[in-house]
Amino acid sequence: MFGKGLITGMGITIRHFFGKKATFCYPEEKLTMTEHFRGGHLTIDYKKCIACQLCAIQCPNQAIKLKVVTDANRKRHLESYVHSMGRCLYCDLCIEGCAPHALSWDKDYEISTWHKEDLVHQVMTDEDRSYLAEVMTQAAANPTPPPVPKAAPKPAAAAPPAAKPADTEVKPRE
Amino acid sequence: MPQTETYILNMGPQHPSTHGVLRVNLELDGEKILRATPMMGYLHRGIEKLLESRTYIQGVPYTDRLDYVSSMNNNFGYCRAVEELAGIEVPARAEYIRVIMAELNRIASHQVFIGSLANDLGASTGMLYTFRDREEILDLFDLVCGARMTFHYIRVGGVARNLPPEFAEKCRKFLDRVPEFTEEYANLLMGNEIFQRRLKGVSRLTPEQALAHNMTGPNIRATGIPFDLRKVDGYSVYPQFAFEVPVGENGDNWDRFRVRFREITESARIVRQALEGLPEGPVMAKFPKMLKPPKGEVFSRTEGTRGELGFYIVSDGTAKPYRVHIRRPSFINMQALDDMCRGYLIGDSVVAFSAIDPLMGEVDC
Ligand code: SF4
Ligand code: SF4
Repeated sequence: MFGKGLITGMGITIRHFFGKKATFCYPEEKLTMTEHFRGGHLTIDYKKCIACQLCAIQCPNQAIKLKVVTDANRKRHLESYVHSMGRCLYCDLCIEGCAPHALSWDKDYEISTWHKEDLVHQVMTDEDRSYLAEVMTQAAANPTPPPVPKAAPKPAAAAPPAAKPADTEVKPRE
Repeated sequence: MPQTETYILNMGPQHPSTHGVLRVNLELDGEKILRATPMMGYLHRGIEKLLESRTYIQGVPYTDRLDYVSSMNNNFGYCRAVEELAGIEVPARAEYIRVIMAELNRIASHQVFIGSLANDLGASTGMLYTFRDREEILDLFDLVCGARMTFHYIRVGGVARNLPPEFAEKCRKFLDRVPEFTEEYANLLMGNEIFQRRLKGVSRLTPEQALAHNMTGPNIRATGIPFDLRKVDGYSVYPQFAFEVPVGENGDNWDRFRVRFREITESARIVRQALEGLPEGPVMAKFPKMLKPPKGEVFSRTEGTRGELGFYIVSDGTAKPYRVHIRRPSFINMQALDDMCRGYLIGDSVVAFSAIDPLMGEVDC
């Protein structure tokens, strides 16, 4: 009988009309993201970071730009850490590459912006910056003597001398 | 006698039924199509070149963006090619997980196909039902890898992380629902006379034509050729599972729809068997972080959701591939559009396009 299919189809529609809703009111109700959700802003646990720059090296799209300073004790710290969300693939390679587990996502999924400039995210907070300044002055005030060099340190392998803290910026790989 | 002339109509590139951005150059005689030429390239991102400028491991997230409806299958294909090149042995558990993910993604992709075919035929409600059920698969993926679209879960050497403990139960729950929702689609769409008449006997291709166009995947199976790499090549752990390869008879749009529709059930069967046989063990092979495969080349093919997905990789011994070429099934299947449209009406061109099920991200690459 022609039209039988239509009636069966309408039956399904009617059943769902009185059934449970598959949707929910989004801005009022919000989802909680899963444990491994990749998205939102990159956050850093500044005190855990050892400034190894592996995250920036792992990144396939050079979305991470960071600057490293060396304090008077020849310990490296992050000076700035910029995550370009517009370039990010949200692939998780940076987070998996970070050995001390300093990086994580903040799982905020409402990250759309009006301008692409707003997609450049400063990962380091003011707190982190004041912490860095504190560490730098502390190190400058009481520098521990550098370990006695066994042989003359090779210029390529040695860290930059403590006298002039050198900035190293990770360059995009060729 | 008044003289009539043929005329040229451009369909797209911005057309809701082109599944992306495609322009089809139609030569028409009244409403009848004399010639249909697909014009591609509007979504070209140069993924092959991008892969050549990244290391092997960094390249995996880019393959997500090829066929973004079935990213797992793309990850799978690329990783298999790199593993073959570098001689990496993948742990058994990882192989099982990969198969589970690839088959779940096949179901999701076919749901998108059914939904968008219904939408292109004017039955927009059909789309809502399939997308509602696809959501459950995406939730499963979200659970294992933290993304719903570009998964980057299957990695070179294995998978990114082990399955969470609640996965198996949630996955079984979904599998139990498969007969329920396939029946719903059948009642909603397949029984519908309008749906049938728009598809049956339209855009027929003979097996010879399909072979001449080098079509693969559900498109060639619809013409009656049981060509499925999961059976033909038997790669990964597929030979251990019992499943059938659905084939069509007439090679028309109806068969293309039927083949995919039945594949949903078959894929669910594979997932169920894989879940049962899932061995314990590591999920990642051990290999140096800075992967430098020996000099050589490899062509590795897998059965993607849209057909034979092949990766041709040339290594020059460095950390980056020297050349990557991707054999994208959508691109090649699309070449049959002309044969499928000739002699039919404009309205059928939209359906023919939809029935090939190309994804523009993959066509333009
Ligand atoms: S990988 Fe981790 S520890 Fe190293 S620089 Fe990046 S955030 Fe810091
Ligand atoms: S998620 Fe991927 S693309 Fe984004 S910053 Fe991390 S490594 Fe780079």
